[in-house]
Amino acid sequence: MSSSEATAHAAPGRGDPHLAHHFDTQDQQDGAVRLGMWLFLGTEVLLFAGLFLGYTVYRHFFHEAFHECSRALSLPLGTLNTVILITSSLFVALAHVAIKQDKQKQAAGLLVLTILCALAFLVIKSFEYAHKFEVGELPGKWFSNPEITAPGANLYFTVYFLATGLHAFHVIVGMSVLAWVLKGVLKGKYGPRNNVAVELGGLYWHLVDLVWIFLFPLLYLI
Amino acid sequence: MANSANATNNDGGHGHGEHSHGIGRYIAVWLALLAGTALTVITGRIDLGAGNIVLAITIASIKATLVVLFFMHMIDTPAANRIVFVVSLVFSLVLIIGVFGDLWTRNEMSLPSGAPSTLAPEIQVPGTPAAERPAEH
Amino acid sequence: MSQSTELDNAGDAEGRPVVNYLNHDRGVMSWLTTVDHKRIGVMYLVSVLIAFLLGGIFAEAVRLELLTPDPTIMGANTYNRMFTLHGAVMIFLFMIPGIPGVFGNFCLPLMLGAKDVAFPRLNLLSLYLYWTGATIALAGMIMGGTDTGWTFYAPYSTTTPMTVFPVLFGIFILGFSSILTGLNFIVTIHTLRAPGMGWMRLPLFVWATYATSIIQVLATPVIGLTVMLVGIERVGGFGFFDATKGGDPVLFQHMFWFYSHPAVYIMVLPAMGVVSEAIAAFSRKNIFGYKMIAYSSLGIAFVGFFAWGHHMFVSGQSTFENGAFAVISMFVGVFTAIKVFNWVGTLYRGAIAVKAPLVYICGFLFFVVFGGMTGIAVATISLDVHWHDTYFVVAHFHFIMVGAVIMAFLIALHYWFPKMFGRMYNEGWAMVAAGFIVLGFNATFIPQFLLGNAGMPRRYYMYPERFQALNVASTAGSSLLALGFVIILVYLIFALVRGPKAVDNPWGSRGYEWMTTSPPPKHNFHEQPVITQDAHSYQNPGEEVEHVVI
Repeated sequence: MSSSEATAHAAPGRGDPHLAHHFDTQDQQDGAVRLGMWLFLGTEVLLFAGLFLGYTVYRHFFHEAFHECSRALSLPLGTLNTVILITSSLFVALAHVAIKQDKQKQAAGLLVLTILCALAFLVIKSFEYAHKFEVGELPGKWFSNPEITAPGANLYFTVYFLATGLHAFHVIVGMSVLAWVLKGVLKGKYGPRNNVAVELGGLYWHLVDLVWIFLFPLLYLI
Repeated sequence: MANSANATNNDGGHGHGEHSHGIGRYIAVWLALLAGTALTVITGRIDLGAGNIVLAITIASIKATLVVLFFMHMIDTPAANRIVFVVSLVFSLVLIIGVFGDLWTRNEMSLPSGAPSTLAPEIQVPGTPAAERPAEH
Repeated sequence: MSQSTELDNAGDAEGRPVVNYLNHDRGVMSWLTTVDHKRIGVMYLVSVLIAFLLGGIFAEAVRLELLTPDPTIMGANTYNRMFTLHGAVMIFLFMIPGIPGVFGNFCLPLMLGAKDVAFPRLNLLSLYLYWTGATIALAGMIMGGTDTGWTFYAPYSTTTPMTVFPVLFGIFILGFSSILTGLNFIVTIHTLRAPGMGWMRLPLFVWATYATSIIQVLATPVIGLTVMLVGIERVGGFGFFDATKGGDPVLFQHMFWFYSHPAVYIMVLPAMGVVSEAIAAFSRKNIFGYKMIAYSSLGIAFVGFFAWGHHMFVSGQSTFENGAFAVISMFVGVFTAIKVFNWVGTLYRGAIAVKAPLVYICGFLFFVVFGGMTGIAVATISLDVHWHDTYFVVAHFHFIMVGAVIMAFLIALHYWFPKMFGRMYNEGWAMVAAGFIVLGFNATFIPQFLLGNAGMPRRYYMYPERFQALNVASTAGSSLLALGFVIILVYLIFALVRGPKAVDNPWGSRGYEWMTTSPPPKHNFHEQPVITQDAHSYQNPGEEVEHVVI
């Protein structure tokens, strides 16, 4: 790995307002920002790994309760939410393609659609939560549903609320990030050569989707 | 190293490539993800015994791989980014498998398997009168 | 592409620039809003030194209480708070951000020939997060104090009536600070190396920081989640770690040590990096086994993730896992030994300059070997069952934490002091202080090994009279240690104000960070440096050996 290649790229972009003083080229800066984002996504993976660990442990201990409780969730709503998130992921990916082709309006429209999807996801989730509160399917000491008798059901709902709650928090953060990106798009800040913010906002959103892809079958199906 | 990798990534090829097959590829991935969702829902409620969890995790992993490779551009991102993400997945597995190894082989007495009935919100364990446990509010 | 301005080029009597990063801009706000990695490093230095002072005071309070078997200066509850404060402050506020936050921030871009870290604003944010987290955690300690020890073991931490939540929340925020620093460094090392600097020319401190950053990024999220779960458990009663609700308290220990064991290497690896730098400079010799030192840093970081279970031999963890973790823990010893042999190999036949940093280096080598060997011993299950939760373990990890890390912190502080501030400290006093510290350290902790082996448990408020002699010895040693630190503080502050001006490279070091002026200009270099030789090369073929009198 010779690093002399690194010097081969001269700095054409000096004086470019998007380029921080300590970078030589826009490519170098974009590469750095991308790597930073991937590292951040790595930390997110490990954050959720802790909760998946909790799921694994308690599913191992309380296999029956986890099976029984997963049946207590609403599969149609869960499936709908999965479809919504997958579709929103498509929208945000297409928004990046659009901005790279300098189709500003199309990109803005796709970002709006993504944010609406996120909102729909949260609304559906809140219906699910409300139902859980009604029937007393709550975590730990709050659990009070007499219909589920298998031991460990309270821990299922502990894991359920922690995992979906943390995920919902990420949905909210992702929405805010995408709204901020949208604002930039509307102001015309991004173009074919300068769109790393759109790309990274999208990356974050894909991660939110990614977590749900695992949460959905684990919580709703098995 | 990273510089040069990024540079080649942006020397035009990236943008043009997207132009020709980008949208079509995204739609194809999206359809595959929807199909995977359908498959996992259908098989999820059929009783396959231990097969259920294996199947569900396999499908989820395939879906996740699609998202990471194509939506997140892992397929054409510099090697450093790929390594970062893969390493984070590997260490997640280290955490889960490391703990799971303990659960599988742990002494019966140390397991919380004598788990209490879930009927009562406050459970009393033999030898620990509830009143003695400090409560926090 | 020179960043120099006419102002920068104005020189003092010796032709050196008078405008540097310290004085190009004045006023508190110019510091609080700076994104300059050097100023952030200096602010970290002040912050961690305050934390160290606090942690030290708590430690002295604990030692003073243990002077006699019976209560002396404080009640049992206060004692519990004191050792918790000591542990939490030292670990989370001093050790973890210590060397990376101060010297990593200051030196890393200089060593890479970069103008700044990759994300300067993120860097400032991580300092602010550190301050926020520290304030919240300390506020919690003042509001009522925590008596769980720095380990926060469930179920005690989830049920004790003391104020735990703010401390947990503070640690959660400190975790973000740590992650952002690590992330920033990794990206900087990947993208901002000077022309000519391949991976095999990275200074060893950079390699060590790189390995540290990987751990920070990968492990810290898990502790964030863990303390969050304990907090939720306390407030909401979710039962995650509560055996009465079916939860598994051992799971807490797994999650806690998944972070906290690698966290030991967050503390130790940068220390090893500092020693690798300084040992070449003070033996005026090429570093011996560059590649082995570099790779063993990564090796320690890697193996560190597989060893967490050796903290849990008596927790109810399965026998199989005990064995597995014990075996894997031995590999840490292998990688550490590789480093030690290479350091000693560097000293061998070098033109050794006996200066204060070298005294600390020798102390470091002894402590890291002794602490490491006892570490191997406590990672052996049969021995650990006897030593677990006794002073033996306390002495072992203080040999690594204080013996290795603080020695390295002091090496770094002395070695880079002229770089950071452009002034020299008094060498005579530095030698005196170094003597006090190395001796005081041994006097403090060697008796603790004996205490632990005799069966004195850690964190106990009172003890049988037969342990008193050793406890007195330990307390006496700790006062020597404290005296050493006070001397250092005094002469460094004096040097800061009145010390003689240092030349650009007072040690004649070949470290890349010395290629610029001391203190460096605002943007680090007047001209973009180009690296033409390997790191730490003091003797190149065909080049006459330079004899710099230092």
